[in-house]
Amino acid sequence: MYRYDEFDKAFVTARIAEFSDQINRRLVGEITEEEFMPLRLRNGVYLQLHAYMLRVAIPYGTLSSQQLRKLAYIARCYDRGYGHFTTRQNIQFNWPRLVDIPEILKELAEVEMHAIQTSGNCIRNITSDHFAGAAADEFADPRPYAEILRQWSSLHPEFSYLPRKFKIAVVGAQTDRAAIQLHDIGLWLKRNSSGKLGFTFYIGGGQGRTPMVAKLLHDFVLEEDLLSYTTAIIRIYNLYGRRDNKYKARIKILIHETGLQKLREEIEKEFAVLKASELKLHQSDIDAINTYFRAPDLTDCSEWHYNLKQLRLNDSAFGDWVNQNVTAHKHPDYAIVTISLKSTGGVPGDATSDQMDTIANLAEQYSKNELRVSYHQNLVLPHVALGDLKTIYDTLLATGLASANIGLISDVIACPGLDYCTLANARSISVAQQISTRFSSYERQMEIGAIKLNISGCINACGHHHIGNIGILGVEKKGTELYQLTLGGSAGNNCAIGEVTGRGFTADEIVDAVEVVINTYLSLRQSSEESFINTYRRIGIELFRQALYGTTRKIS
Amino acid sequence: MARQEKSLKSVMQMEKMQLNKNTKLWGAGGFRENRYVRSNCLENVDSNWVILPLTRWLQIVEKIDGEILRKTGIFAEAGEDIKPLLPFLDVVSVIALNFPKFSDGRSYSTAMQLKQTYCYRGELRAVGDVLIDQVSNMLRCGFDTLEVKHQLTQIRLKEYSKEIFPGFYQPGARLIRTSSQNRIWRSTAVR
Repeated sequence: MYRYDEFDKAFVTARIAEFSDQINRRLVGEITEEEFMPLRLRNGVYLQLHAYMLRVAIPYGTLSSQQLRKLAYIARCYDRGYGHFTTRQNIQFNWPRLVDIPEILKELAEVEMHAIQTSGNCIRNITSDHFAGAAADEFADPRPYAEILRQWSSLHPEFSYLPRKFKIAVVGAQTDRAAIQLHDIGLWLKRNSSGKLGFTFYIGGGQGRTPMVAKLLHDFVLEEDLLSYTTAIIRIYNLYGRRDNKYKARIKILIHETGLQKLREEIEKEFAVLKASELKLHQSDIDAINTYFRAPDLTDCSEWHYNLKQLRLNDSAFGDWVNQNVTAHKHPDYAIVTISLKSTGGVPGDATSDQMDTIANLAEQYSKNELRVSYHQNLVLPHVALGDLKTIYDTLLATGLASANIGLISDVIACPGLDYCTLANARSISVAQQISTRFSSYERQMEIGAIKLNISGCINACGHHHIGNIGILGVEKKGTELYQLTLGGSAGNNCAIGEVTGRGFTADEIVDAVEVVINTYLSLRQSSEESFINTYRRIGIELFRQALYGTTRKIS
Repeated sequence: MARQEKSLKSVMQMEKMQLNKNTKLWGAGGFRENRYVRSNCLENVDSNWVILPLTRWLQIVEKIDGEILRKTGIFAEAGEDIKPLLPFLDVVSVIALNFPKFSDGRSYSTAMQLKQTYCYRGELRAVGDVLIDQVSNMLRCGFDTLEVKHQLTQIRLKEYSKEIFPGFYQPGARLIRTSSQNRIWRSTAVR
């Protein structure tokens, strides 16, 4: 894991002093709310429906035990005993007081954390593969590059007042687990034919009211040019991106209106002059960062395989959990454990202080002190010996964290919705709770198989509804909450935006509608091997529409 | 409490109005005299030192003599194309880039292009909605001077001696990389 050096510490401390001063000036009325807003936002402070909200950065979703314990402590002392892990691998506290925020930031700084650029029209937290450094299908670890980008983007003088927010994601495995094609810049770390590392650049992905899958900008940019090329892109965006309408201000709209080819020419021109600048990454720069991300020492033990097999046979619930929540590790005697924050009837992504402490302890004892946050709003223990799985499971079971549902229908992604958010039109949490309750039977979930169900409480799409195999979007119509259904969305290697089925459903109808979709799929799939998304891709949306609305009803 | 807040607000509102007449120019070493007058043309101006809009400047550049040219600066709107200016950069003494709102960051990129890419050596000036919280960004992007209307910003700049940050993670104007171990750029001089 990256560790702060003296400079990083001094930098974050200076930032806290600066922001504390800004808060004070706001409190005494020296600056207007209009002037304060962009300042607080770039420090992660939102004004929500009922209170201020603080979003803390978890760089590329990587946490240490000590850091998670600190988050638990902050939730306990400054909030209401819980925190919410977000779809950008961050954590949000929903009830802090503005006057406490400088104190909270000091607490965070003690464990090398901050809230810098978790909001605002700037470069946001860099996201990455939550299995980075552990996954069996990885060709290169993306975290060092995510860290290089994190540092470079912090308090960037040129890119602090962009037309709109700017999101970057980076992966380095065969499977894209970070939905890179839904980011303003998506980076895929690869090796070219001569063995050199570099990046495939995708640009202009995003969700919101105009969802778009990112386009391929450049097949292979050498790793030494990572910052120069990124700077070229963002400079062009900063100069030419629209500022007249915030809904048309993301880079995806600039690409759409200007054309990819023309924009690429502009970017290449800019890159040509930046290539030899100080932005160039030297091998020594990369090596220096790489030392922080050395793989942990892992012990070989083939015996664990046999023991695990026995334990799975003896305890079928444990077996189910291993099937669903455990992923192959680079090291054959180790595994990656995903801890589900999606209990039946619970709030997706929420964890109490006690749960965070328990998970922090597990990471300390069994996962080399390391944890990850996935954009699916779950937590991950990246380096677990096969021999420790049962002990971990038993502890999770006792804490209500043993839901064996990763990648199943109750592993719902949801935004905070109208329960917290000023932007929301409808509640998301209650729908998520109803869905996880309706489909709580493990057997039924297994029968349905791999599926992604995502819920957003408004068109801004924080709950990623566009890329849910089943997506639910809360809208407001004539004063009531209505839920639109989209089908066929997908993140990762086969990224696609879902299609709206037709008229929306009321809060009372929406879960029934989901059930209709599920039953339609079950009746039409070729075999239990054919996943929901594959069935959808084979048969299209029409049969689902007929099932939902009847054959005679006109679809709007 | 509410009333107090209100009166404070109205005082600040008044202050804001007054300071519009009271723009000050700030740069390394503190506030300084602003010799330039902004105008749309060279005629009927009280000063020999004039800042003209970029398009206007381009129309007359080849018609006026060197002495007048030396005293004629350029004003560019945020996002305005500065490419036509490039052949003349050696003879321009000041370029003022506008910030119509502090949240409009286009002029940061134009500044970087002028100073870094095109090696403009003259004075680069930030004008418009210049506030204390963006001063560091402006300096690091290569601005030499700031035209400040906002009175609280003027007060703060009077006390401004140096950057509160120990350094930065990016290269920038008046910053140098201090070690090959870290990608950190520190200030070259006390401002």
